[in-house]
Amino acid sequence: MESNFIKPPVEIRYKDELDALRKYDDGKRPENWVLSPKAVRTFILGGKIKTESGSIEISRKFYGNDALVERCIITLAGNRGLMLVGEPGTAKTMLSELLSAACCGISTNTVQGTAGTTEDMIKYSWNYALLLAKGPCREALVPSPLLIGMEKGIFARFEEITRTPAEIQDSLISVMSDQILNIPELENEGLVFARPGFNIIGTANTRDKGVNEMSGALKRRFNFETVEPVRDVRLEKEIILREARNLAETGHIDMPVDADAAELLAVTYHELREGVDSEGTVIETPTAVMSTAEAVSVYYQTLSHAWYYGNQKIDMKIMTENLLGAVCKENKDDLEKLKAYFRTSVKNKSNKVGGLWKEYYTAAKVLK
Amino acid sequence: MERILYGGKSSEIIDYSSPLILYPVRHHSPICSYHLIKLIERYRPEIILIEGPENANHLINVLTDEKTELPAAFYCYYKDSKSLVSEDKEDYKCYYPFQYSSPEYNAAVQAKKLGVPAEFIDLPYSELLINTAEDRGMRKNTEKHSYTDDSRLIGGEFYKRLCEKTGLRSFEEFWEKYFEIGGLYISTDDFVRQMTTYCTLIRNDVSEKELEADGTLSREKYMAYNISAAMNKYEKVLVVTGGFHTSGLAKLLESGEIRAAKLHKVAEKDQGCYPMAYSYRAADALRGYASGMMYPGFYDNIMKELLKRELPEGVYNEQTMTLLAKTAKAASKRDVQVTMSDITAAYTMMGGLAALRNSKETGISEVFDGVTSCFIKGEKTISSSLPLDILSELATGSGIGHIGDTQHVPPLIADFEKQCGEMGLKYQTAVPVKVEAALFTSKKGQLISRFMHRMNFLGTGFAKLLKGPDIHNNRDRSRVREEWQFRRSPEVDASLIDHTTDGFTIEEACAAYAEKLLNARRRCETAASIAVDCFLMGIPLTSAEQEKIDGIITEDGDFFSIGSGLSSFDTLWGLQRLYEFDDEAAMKYVLRCFDRLISALPSMADVPSERAEETVKVMRLMYMIAVNTLTDRLGVFEAALLTMTSAKEKEPLVHGAAMGLLCAINEDHRISAERFAKGYLAGSLEIRKKGADYLRGLFTTSKDIVFTDSSFLEMTDKLIVSMEFDDFLEILPSLRLAFSGFTPSELQLTAKAAAELHGMDDKALLNKKAVNEKMFSFGEKFDIRICEDIGKEVLLYEN
Repeated sequence: MESNFIKPPVEIRYKDELDALRKYDDGKRPENWVLSPKAVRTFILGGKIKTESGSIEISRKFYGNDALVERCIITLAGNRGLMLVGEPGTAKTMLSELLSAACCGISTNTVQGTAGTTEDMIKYSWNYALLLAKGPCREALVPSPLLIGMEKGIFARFEEITRTPAEIQDSLISVMSDQILNIPELENEGLVFARPGFNIIGTANTRDKGVNEMSGALKRRFNFETVEPVRDVRLEKEIILREARNLAETGHIDMPVDADAAELLAVTYHELREGVDSEGTVIETPTAVMSTAEAVSVYYQTLSHAWYYGNQKIDMKIMTENLLGAVCKENKDDLEKLKAYFRTSVKNKSNKVGGLWKEYYTAAKVLK
Repeated sequence: MERILYGGKSSEIIDYSSPLILYPVRHHSPICSYHLIKLIERYRPEIILIEGPENANHLINVLTDEKTELPAAFYCYYKDSKSLVSEDKEDYKCYYPFQYSSPEYNAAVQAKKLGVPAEFIDLPYSELLINTAEDRGMRKNTEKHSYTDDSRLIGGEFYKRLCEKTGLRSFEEFWEKYFEIGGLYISTDDFVRQMTTYCTLIRNDVSEKELEADGTLSREKYMAYNISAAMNKYEKVLVVTGGFHTSGLAKLLESGEIRAAKLHKVAEKDQGCYPMAYSYRAADALRGYASGMMYPGFYDNIMKELLKRELPEGVYNEQTMTLLAKTAKAASKRDVQVTMSDITAAYTMMGGLAALRNSKETGISEVFDGVTSCFIKGEKTISSSLPLDILSELATGSGIGHIGDTQHVPPLIADFEKQCGEMGLKYQTAVPVKVEAALFTSKKGQLISRFMHRMNFLGTGFAKLLKGPDIHNNRDRSRVREEWQFRRSPEVDASLIDHTTDGFTIEEACAAYAEKLLNARRRCETAASIAVDCFLMGIPLTSAEQEKIDGIITEDGDFFSIGSGLSSFDTLWGLQRLYEFDDEAAMKYVLRCFDRLISALPSMADVPSERAEETVKVMRLMYMIAVNTLTDRLGVFEAALLTMTSAKEKEPLVHGAAMGLLCAINEDHRISAERFAKGYLAGSLEIRKKGADYLRGLFTTSKDIVFTDSSFLEMTDKLIVSMEFDDFLEILPSLRLAFSGFTPSELQLTAKAAAELHGMDDKALLNKKAVNEKMFSFGEKFDIRICEDIGKEVLLYEN
């Protein structure tokens, strides 16, 4: 399959690793899974697999709570759905893609939940030309990702489920309870039974809590896992570097990533998120999402700017401008909070550490 | 070293015919106990030597007594009166806890079964402290200490690397998987080898200097000497010590460099060990004293189950299932919806995770994972994590042990248990319990109240008064019942043991402790507080104590201390009939304090302004007592006040208060009060400022003066009108305070009179015209503009 996409799906991006894991996987697999739970774990959390000629290193793709990943794998092997909840930018979607790709070999069988999602999008709809020509028949049916998942015995991913109205969400209940989808228009052929391997991975943003609260009945059919932001600055820096490297590669930006700049950005995001700096000074936390994903985005924008307009060197002024754009989106008070952060913590580090921090502090004049 | 470690040739691992076997343990580990029992059955030692304070040997029988229930502990204390540890002559204490899963306990029980002696071989607590450097080991600056500290097993980088390599989250998870569960599926020989390897590798990470500083080397030398001595006497010696010491002991024994250590002479009264009931909560490594393992209740259940079974396999699967079911049941009782389907899903999850993690059975970490995933619906937050809290409580256990051999139970603990039993107080649980005590309608209520106050007086931390009269601070005196919350903890027992020298019953200890305090603190205020404590505890003061208090009142030269004492004694006098506690001495103290204050009162006229309020408070109290109780002293009080007002230098607040009291005693003094007020008004600016404080003092003690006629109000008005605006602002707080004791209707009356003085309506004075919207909007914009302009000047950044 061609791999020249802006964002290739996980199964293409990590094809080599998945193939190797599949080849040397001797663990027990749940029916229709392409890998055993142990191999899925190795695919997501990294490790080594033994081969005839030595070993192959599998990269770690998800940082943070390893036990959470293990629980997710076991949940998906059972009869309950998996619901990943957490702050925006905590890699819920990425984890859901990794799980789908590793367990089913495909991560693109997805419903995107929005305020405009209808029951048709979740269950099935019709090709009206065929419907008029041939009447209700299987040929005229347009299956939803959920229906595809049931028929093929693969996962269906439901992104941002709580953006969808509650009554639409509830259409999942019968499917998850009975593992059957009834299509009354097809009469005798209308019962679709889920094949082994079918399951649902949902993601929900905690900032959407209360917008479309899930019903108790639906909640009971899911195991919930809360994905926390990465609390370790060192780890956050690694993620920024790795993701920026991947994005640069995809975008054909042939420029080395700057580890110091990544660390500086990781520290900034960490301190603004936690509300306290390394010296123990209390900092006002912006209302904007201070996720690692946002940090990656800020870094990549800066990298792109340096590649296309600059001298292939990360410019602190540009990075501060990008940071400003990322932080001051919704609330005007966030600008003041960011300024205050520069006035206290960044200034302090500029005096004590110097170097890049000094450049960073000097760039604060762009904060207007 | 192999020969010493395992008893014989390395190929055999353990030689069961060897004269010595060193058995490494992790304190409170069921698997260590399980294999130890198996080893003892096969080795059949003639003596079992255990790591523990040598001076607690006489308590081993108490521990293995059939009536003793675990968890229990030895409470060891040492009073460094000879400065052997440090110049500070501090008191030290520590616990040596035992659970059913403790290998040390099981070693002692097995010795009893075999009919062979079991002995502790470690240094006494005092010696251990003497041999430890400051801020190291047992001398670390933490509140709680345990004799069996396992923190070394998780020291250094070694275990972190192990966890990383094995993909496990923590040492506890690693330990459970590879030792507790994994150990069930291997032979005793393999287990000992695995355990020794781990402990030796951990020890290799620690420098000799560090081992010297924290007392490890001294302990090991002492233990090695005792082992060597036992080997001369017995043919088969089994030594049970923490795994960290095993390789050190082996090296010493092999080197043959063993000498008897000379112990310091410590007086009997300065050190000791007592058995006491202990709680699972305290034994938990999370909250306890780093003494052993997390979730001790769970591991004790595992041990009990292991002892019942022939084959150990499956014990964790069963116990974790039981724990899960109990969690679900307890969660349902606390309004967390847990369905059968959730329990099934959690159970499946636990099994799946164990398989994924290559663990032979489900452990406690899998139960936590199962509950996290299947019982928490929605985002995991503090409030939604209740099922995890419940699980943690259940796994920790809420039980408290019991010492069976009452001969060795310290008398105060025995009395405590007896009294709790008689009053029906549930003291054998670590969960806080609430109880109500009706003070005047039930004998039992009064008994409970006195018991709780006694326990608090001894500083045990057993009881906490949630609601009820606060006699010390003279608050809520109208309450007729007390609500207490109590919880027994090892600290409660420890405090009671500390008071053993004060008496054999709690009542005796309280009385003796009260006397001690009276001797130590020679202040009237403190003496009165102790008298209040005795009153609440229902313990009458002895004649010697009464004399002491009398002497303290006479000796104390602090006006405020005597004033505070007077308040307490007066309260006691007023309450004793209600509380059915007759003590004539209270009136004697009231009189004594009053007389002392009368003689001191004139000198308080020029008290520093920061103490003026306090002085006024005492004066008001004296007036109340003189009017209500000591009417014959009213004349003397008036005379003292007059002397006070005639002093040359007077603090205005005190002066005003004295004049107010004089007016209250005798109307004739009103003229003087007005004269003084006029004097303040006619004075310089500074004197006028003092006028506000004078008025405040006057109104504090006699506000009626304002309402009798308009003269006082007119004077006040003159005072205010004559001032510049800035000066007025300066005295405004005092003026506000002056009127703070007035009721709303009195304030309304005053406002009306003040308005009339200026030809205004009081409504116009109180309800000023509102600013119109346009003006307000202009003001707001103006304000913002000013702030912006100021902001430009104070630029955030230098450039």
